[in-house]
Order: sequence, then C-alpha cells, then structure tokens
Amino acid sequence: MRTISLYVEKESFIHGLDPVTKLWLTASLLIIPFIVGNIESTLVCLGINLALLSVARVIRRIFSILAMSLVLIITLFIIQGMFYGGNRTEAFALGSLVFYREGLRYATLLTLRFFNIISASMVLILTTRPSDLIESLVRRGLSPRIGYVLASVLQIIPMMISNTSTIMDAQRSRGMETEGRLVTRMKAYLPLMAPLVMSSLVATQERAMALEVRAFGARNPKTFLHEEIISRHALPIRVLTSLGLVAAVIWRVIL
Amino acid sequence: MRVRVENVRFHYRLGEPVLKGVTLDFEGEATAIIGQNGAGKSTLVRLINGLLKPVSGEVRVGDWNTGDFSVARLARRVGLVFQNPNDQVFKSVVRDEVMFGPKNLGMSGDTALASSREALADVGLEGAMDANPYDLSLAERKLVSIASVVAMNTDVVIFDEPTIAQDYAGVQRIGTLIEKLKARGKLIIAITHDMDFVAEIFPRAVVLRRGEVIIDGSTREVFSRPDLLRDSFVEPPHATQLGQALGLSETVLSVDEAVKGIKGHRSRLGGLAGSDTAHDQQFFQ
Ligand SMILES: Nc1ncnc2c1ncn2[C@@H]1O[C@H](COP(=O)(O)OP(=O)(O)OP(=O)(O)O)[C@@H](O)[C@H]1O
Ligand SMILES: [Mg+2]
Repeated sequence: MRTISLYVEKESFIHGLDPVTKLWLTASLLIIPFIVGNIESTLVCLGINLALLSVARVIRRIFSILAMSLVLIITLFIIQGMFYGGNRTEAFALGSLVFYREGLRYATLLTLRFFNIISASMVLILTTRPSDLIESLVRRGLSPRIGYVLASVLQIIPMMISNTSTIMDAQRSRGMETEGRLVTRMKAYLPLMAPLVMSSLVATQERAMALEVRAFGARNPKTFLHEEIISRHALPIRVLTSLGLVAAVIWRVIL
Repeated sequence: MRVRVENVRFHYRLGEPVLKGVTLDFEGEATAIIGQNGAGKSTLVRLINGLLKPVSGEVRVGDWNTGDFSVARLARRVGLVFQNPNDQVFKSVVRDEVMFGPKNLGMSGDTALASSREALADVGLEGAMDANPYDLSLAERKLVSIASVVAMNTDVVIFDEPTIAQDYAGVQRIGTLIEKLKARGKLIIAITHDMDFVAEIFPRAVVLRRGEVIIDGSTREVFSRPDLLRDSFVEPPHATQLGQALGLSETVLSVDEAVKGIKGHRSRLGGLAGSDTAHDQQFFQ
C-alpha cells in the first residue's frame, strides 16, 4: 500500500534510531533556538541538523526545499531591511532605498529559524517510515484506534489521487474534454469529486469492517509483529537532548 | 473499422517493459485477448483507445494515428469498458451515467436517450434508468458501465473483462449483446479470463504472455495448442480438454461439439457399442 511519505530508504545510524528518540531529537533541536532566542543558538542547532542529515545521507533532499523558499527569503530581507520597527542604524543604501542593520539582522534570524525548522523536521521525516512512527507511539500508549486513523489518512490521500486519475481516464475515454482552458478542466474535475469522496468513504468503511472481523476492537492488550529495536545510540542521544533543553531553559531564565 | 498495432513497445517505468514489440491487426472479427495476470492486456487496450501512447511503434484506428489525437477525440471511434466499474461510474442516476458518453460525442438529447435506453435494455437493466448506480450491485454496475459505452455507438468496442462478477444469466446477456454488436459490423475486442466465453463468442483469440503475443489465430487453433497455453497459465474450456484427453482428432470448443466428436470417434472405431443407443444415452447422461 502506498502512503504519503518522504521517507528515503538508506542505511545509517539515524535511520537505525527508534522513531521516538528521533521525535525527541527533532523536537528539541526545533524548540531550543526559540527558548534561547538568539542567532547563535539557531546557528548551532541548524548546524547539528545539517550534520545529522548528511550522516543520514539525505541532505540533498532539503536543498531543493530550501531553494524553493528563496523568493520568500529575499522578500523577507527586503521588507525587514527597510521597514523593521526597530530600524536605527543604516547599513547601506541603494539609491533612495535605505537598508538598516537591525532589520537585516532580524531577517537573518527569521531565515535561520525557518531553515532550522525545515531541517529539524526533515531529520525525522526523511529517515522514518510514518508507519514505524505510529507503531512506536502506539507502543507508548497511543490508542491503536488513533494510530489506525493516522495511518489511514496517510494511505487514503495517495489512493484518492490515483483514483482521480483512473476516473478521469474513464471519462476521457467517453469523450469528456479534459485538456485546454482552466474552465474546461475545472468543469471536468468537479463532478468527479462526489464519487471520489464516496468511494473513499466506502473503502474506509470496508477496511474498518475487515479490521473488526479480525478482532481489532478486542479488549485484551495487543502484541506487535515487530520487536522494537532500540539502538545503543538512543540513550546517549536522549540524555544529550534533555541536557540541551535544560541548558536552554536555564540560559533563558538566568540571562 | 480497422485497428492496427504495429511493433508497439510500452513501459510505465523505465527498464520494466510491459509490451515488448506487439503487432496485431484487427479487422471485422471479434477478438478475445487472453493471458495471465499482468501480461499487459489492459495496457494494450489502453494503447488502442489512446489513454496511453506507445513508447515506440504506432497504433492506428482507421486512418488515425492515436499519437495525433486526444483521448476525447478518439472516443468517437473507440469505446472502452473499464475493468472495474467503480472507476467509471460517477453520476448519481443511471440514466445520466449512460447518456454521458453519447452527449459528449455530440448526440442530440433524444438520440442519446434512445441509444441509452436500448443499451440498458440490452444488458437487462431497462428498469434501472432512475436508480442510483451506488445502490446497484457490483455486477449491475458493471452492466451499467457496459451499457454506457455501448450507447456511444462507436465503431470499435473494447471490453476489459466484461463477465467479471456476473452470474450465468449476466454472462449470457453480455454474450448476446456482443453477438448483436458483431452483427452490426462493430469491431469487438474483449479481454477475458473466461475460456468458455471465448470459445462461445469469439472466432479469434490472441494470447499475451509477459508483453508478447505468443499465439494469434482462430480460437480453435489457439485452443489446440495446450503446450503453449500451459506456459501462459491459460486453461482451455473443459470440453476442449476432454476432447484432447480422449484423443479426438479435431479440437472441440463446446459440449455439443465434444459429444459429436466422441460419437464420430466411436463409430469410426467400428462398433463396440456404436449403434447401441440405449448404452449411448446412459453414457452421456
Ligand atoms: N499505472 C501503472 N503504473 C505502473 N505499472 C503498471 C501500471 N499499470 C499496470 N502496470 C504494470 O504493468 C504490467 C501489466 O499490467 P496490465 O494491467 O496491463 O496487466 P493485465 O494483463 O491487464 O493483468 P490483469 O489480468 O491482472 O488485469 C503489470 O506488471 C502491472 O503491474
Ligand atoms: Mg487488466
């Protein structure tokens, strides 16, 4: 079954970590810069994230995402550079357009934070199968029902996409024009929405029944098909990230 | 109308060829396409109606090269009934569903309605005009999807597993409908795993195996090659197998033919109980 996932199958110690440790790692590296609040901490976390991504050999994947956000970032620099509320010190001027240090600094912080959020999330997303993450959470007490709902949402969307194209194919085969102007295409798509949603609902209901006949709702504790393997790196990583979080909070409170 | 498939190669993913140079010429007769799952049968018919374009080689429908026409244009010449009716049926009333194709082809409301009514009657669903397709059974939805293509009155009609989910009556009805279309001069191509259906309705059969045509000929010829068929996991009709097991000289395609063949065989062997009709009747009951 296809699911929505950016997971990249590779061998690395990051891939080998259990999902919960990775979740913990990602969350800490994402939050610490916000707790501390300065550019330096953001840079450090971003550096760690990029290092982790290259260890996992998936770093090339994030370049395209970062490149796509280039326009956004340039806009950010122009707007903050000229109009940031705290602008005092002139940095440089292009003709009549004056850019200020404070604004540019703020734009840099925002950009780094943005990069950090993306790369931290990617450490988790690119190296973890969604189903593994869900399974790990279920082991730690997430209700299997909620786990199932999460997993099926991830599966239903690609299913709907592929159904849409098959249904479109069937209608084109009966002479429906789907190429050409936007209006023509919209007209073609809209009537197909109802059967799509309908068939997804039917499919979901059938899957629910198929689960139920295999005693999904039984009350006794569930076992798991796979043994969970906790890598020996997991504990040190959890300890380090916890220490990092504590340090960040102390920094914030004391300084 | 003539359909020519010339040395067509096709793949969905590079390095995984699905059709490896298929050449077929369809004209006039009704042809069954058979072969194991994944042989490339559905892919072949999607190439014929233009949903897929060949990677190399070409497909011609009459004087049209499918590469030069949109699927919607090709629909004027080729009707394709999808394997799974749930991929095709999308209106909430059977009447609208069946009239959808004819209207797209530019038929007037009255003509479209008349054509749809006739097609629905052909599949035995004249009473379901106002039903919601989702309230029908899978077998009935399949019949609706067949009617909605037949109503388009195209010169070429392709069925992807028409007898799927049908009971005996449904299969008979589809057989009758195909005979009727043949009589009107339509070019019929059907993919099917139902060999009795092939033997009964289709004078010609094409066997695909892993993207290649391994046999193409009259159905009788095709079923007389159990060696090749076994390779592609196709099992001839039981009557044919019985005939072969008994060593009849002719390949038989139906129970009637088998009975005639066996009787002929026995009388040629001279006597035994050849003239003993009481014994014969007991034997064949
Ligand atoms: N959209 C697709 N994308 C990728 N591969 C596909 C696609 N559709 C079919 N295939 C592959 O192409 C091969 C031929 O498929 P096809 O559907 O033509 O087989 P078929 O002969 O119709 O089989 P069946 O009897 O199961 O309907 C199969 O290996 C299938 O997995
Ligand atoms: Mg098929």
